Amino acid sequence: MNNSGEIWVIGEQRSGRLEEVSLELLSKGAVLSQRMGVTLASVLLGDEVDEAARELVFHGAEKVYLLEDARLRYYQSEAYARLLAGVIKEHEPQIVLIGATEIGKELAPKVAAKLRTGLTAHCIDLYVGEVDAAPQLIHVVPGWGGNLVMHIICPQRRPQMVAVKPGVLPRAVRDKNKVGKVIKVKPDVRDEDFRRIDTVEVVEEPPQGKSLESADVVVCGGWGMNAMGDFSRVQELADILGGVAAGTRPAMDKGWVDEAQLIGQSGKTVSPGLFIGLGVSGAMHYTAGFMGSKVVLAVDRNPQAPIFQMADIGIVGDLREVLPCLIEELEKDRTPRRF
Amino acid sequence: MGLEILVCIKQVPHPDHFSEIRLDAGSGRIIREGIPAIINPLDRNALEEGLRVKERFSGRVTVISMGPPQAQKALEEALVMGGDRGVLLCDMAFGGADTLATANTLFYAIRKLGKFDLIYCGNETVDSGTAQVGPQLAELLDIPQVSGVWEVAFGDEKTLEVKRALEHGYMKVRLKLPALLCVTRDINKPRLPSVQSIMEVAQKEMIIWKAKDIGAPPESIGLEGSPTCAAGVYEHKAGRRREIMQGSIEEKVHRAVARLKELGAI
Amino acid sequence: MDFNLSREHEMLRDMVKEFANSELAPRALELDNKGEFFWEQVKRSGQLGLIGVINSKEYGGTAMGHLARMIIIEEISRVYPPMGFFHQTGNLLMYAIETFGNDKHKKKYLPSLCKGEKVSAFALTEASGGSDAASMQTEATMNGDHYVINGRKCWITGVDPADVVGFVAKTGDKFSAFIVEKGTHGFEVTRREETIGLRSLPVNEFALTNCRLPKENLIGEEGRGLVCALTTIATMGRTGAAGVALGIARGCYEIALKFAKERVLYGKPIAALQAIQFMLADMNVEIEAAKWLCYSTAWQLDQGKTSRDLAVDIARCKLYAVDVANRCAYKAVDIMGAYGLSPEYRVIGLLRDALELGVAAGSQEVMKVTIGATITR
Repeated sequence: MNNSGEIWVIGEQRSGRLEEVSLELLSKGAVLSQRMGVTLASVLLGDEVDEAARELVFHGAEKVYLLEDARLRYYQSEAYARLLAGVIKEHEPQIVLIGATEIGKELAPKVAAKLRTGLTAHCIDLYVGEVDAAPQLIHVVPGWGGNLVMHIICPQRRPQMVAVKPGVLPRAVRDKNKVGKVIKVKPDVRDEDFRRIDTVEVVEEPPQGKSLESADVVVCGGWGMNAMGDFSRVQELADILGGVAAGTRPAMDKGWVDEAQLIGQSGKTVSPGLFIGLGVSGAMHYTAGFMGSKVVLAVDRNPQAPIFQMADIGIVGDLREVLPCLIEELEKDRTPRRF
Repeated sequence: MGLEILVCIKQVPHPDHFSEIRLDAGSGRIIREGIPAIINPLDRNALEEGLRVKERFSGRVTVISMGPPQAQKALEEALVMGGDRGVLLCDMAFGGADTLATANTLFYAIRKLGKFDLIYCGNETVDSGTAQVGPQLAELLDIPQVSGVWEVAFGDEKTLEVKRALEHGYMKVRLKLPALLCVTRDINKPRLPSVQSIMEVAQKEMIIWKAKDIGAPPESIGLEGSPTCAAGVYEHKAGRRREIMQGSIEEKVHRAVARLKELGAI
Repeated sequence: MDFNLSREHEMLRDMVKEFANSELAPRALELDNKGEFFWEQVKRSGQLGLIGVINSKEYGGTAMGHLARMIIIEEISRVYPPMGFFHQTGNLLMYAIETFGNDKHKKKYLPSLCKGEKVSAFALTEASGGSDAASMQTEATMNGDHYVINGRKCWITGVDPADVVGFVAKTGDKFSAFIVEKGTHGFEVTRREETIGLRSLPVNEFALTNCRLPKENLIGEEGRGLVCALTTIATMGRTGAAGVALGIARGCYEIALKFAKERVLYGKPIAALQAIQFMLADMNVEIEAAKWLCYSTAWQLDQGKTSRDLAVDIARCKLYAVDVANRCAYKAVDIMGAYGLSPEYRVIGLLRDALELGVAAGSQEVMKVTIGATITR
């Protein structure tokens, strides 16, 4: 069992730009590296991405293992997994953090399986704690119902791998005076890597409007919005507050929001300054999506709805009465604030 | 010709009853008893995809699940949708498995069942939702795999081109069979079973295997085979204020807005 | 005694429930308002094998039986009674042909009826009476190798959309059953009645004016028409109406119960008030009782008992279930207050539909006549 190895953050870049989540993981990585007294490093695969590698250093990576090759320009399932597993086996980090992006969600389990090691998904926090009088890295994962969380550990196998969704952890602070080593590793890319599976094309469609993850105010409609028949009031409230409209799974099932505005376990995680849940019951698989918000306002007609346990301010009432009233009250005083 | 198609399914608690689920304080495991259960919704999309491929190219659809005895009901539902035979992996020894141990269990069962051309999984489950078993199983089987699949096109019978979701956009990936695909809800609309298929289900084969039937070494399955485990369940120290507004609707709204202003939220 | 449904029946219920919730419920209000026949939904039902459950596989049916049919009609009616009622009336001629018709009839008509590509109706009632069937005036006179029919039938469900209609006419001093196809010269739909409930299922009057039908169009033997009609109406009509009633009752109960748990008055859900609990308790008990009367009757039919053997059971389940449906619907409207009168909340629509069931397949009083006469024999 290896407890002296480095802490690694798997950096993800697309078209040379680092994904936000990589920078978020570096902040947690720095905390852990300080606490445990080991080096924080990062790994990056791609082609002509040295600028991104430097960004990783500016955000706290003491070392960056850079694997560049023209054939690695885009995510390639077999090549990336094999090379990552290889570099991990060679350098034996003890902890590997990876962002649960669409790509990370596929790459992480492949690498973990190659290494026959543990991988925890949906992690919302990491810290060194104690289990049975021994120090362990605690992977905090949302539990079922209300305010419960589970503590997951990976006591034996190494590295222990943890996947974290974008938007959960705070971003590391950028400091262009930080120094770190960018170690170029010549990746052993083989033709065989592309024989059975090959990324043929990447089509990126820039998002319309403000992104959910960067909004200061998120107004989220859930099952309870059924009573209102449509979603227009949710958008109206979002507009007044200068925020973004979103929905939980029932709202998406009704066609009121699409995947890009979906909040919850299978959707996005947001941590805005103000989160307003309208008819969002508070069942576990939705609450993980907004647990990190600074202030939560909940409106629901059921006084027993679990969401009231997870809210700062709660209004029990019929949305058809509360929403117009709320909108009217806020209209009176239309000064959007920055958080 | 005929393709051998495998669909992996999981029985999960009915999402409408999620709020009734309790965690076992010690193990962190979900107490499922008494909660109505369904086939994981995305697994139905996976099954629908498998059925369409079978209808197009001829072949056989085997449906497999690792679960407690009541998971047999989910397999029956899959057979009623059109699956040809069901395989239930049911053994106390499989319990407590994390995703790697689950993938291992499925791996040993698949090894016993024989070669498959295509394996379909739902991208993630509505309960644990890790989206890990599919990629890990493919790794153990050493076959190519793609997650987030929402469109599949067959080149010839040995090559596929799929579209897989990105946050904003998609990737086109070419794969050679045998392959494993994890599908999303956008890929198809699962069919409703017909009266005819309901009446035929009793004739379909249902295999039930334990650990010894599939030759799975104890250290690779269940709790023993899980690199990760739950150390406990705790209250999340969210520190929410939980202030419920009182009075008439107008009063509640007025007070709420005032409090939000005080908290600096608006 | 094992009161559990078989696994197949459970799976059937799950499937119909999902069909009803995902494909019927979203359109229910709209279809009801438009008052148009629901062709699309009928075809889907046929695709799923739900229409021909008492027809043999040889002719496109699934032969799953009467209990299966009861469950199908119940689950559909819980969400959209007109469609459930269609499974009642639309099955009448299908049963008559299956039981009394010859091979030619079966091959010609059953496959497309089972698939939902074509629909049928069955006509007994005239201005002279429905309960008093023997007083009918519609007459079929033999003329060489064909019959000439004259008369009018009224209050017949579903004639307008029907491709083929079965009816009974006097032949001499007896009665015979016939098949007439849409478009036949001398067959004309003359009126559509305005009904308070089951609005998207037309109720029509039609006229037969010197309508010539070949001998082949006789269902069964000449003179055996009333046996055909009454057996059909008892076995399919009354049980079907009972199934619709059961579905309506359960639908009202579930909606009212959910409402009562959510509607907060005086600081708590009204479900905490005894008055409301008593009403819901009454509904609960009656629905359960009605359910067992209906299911046991259907089950016995599946065991091979005839509608003669089961005359009392059949009359009883229709009588009771329909009364229960009306009572539950009314209670549901009551529990829900003003919301109960709003079409959006469905219960007022279910009450309107329940009102139509009293006279379906024999009036409530005729059910009592059947029961009373039989038990006092």
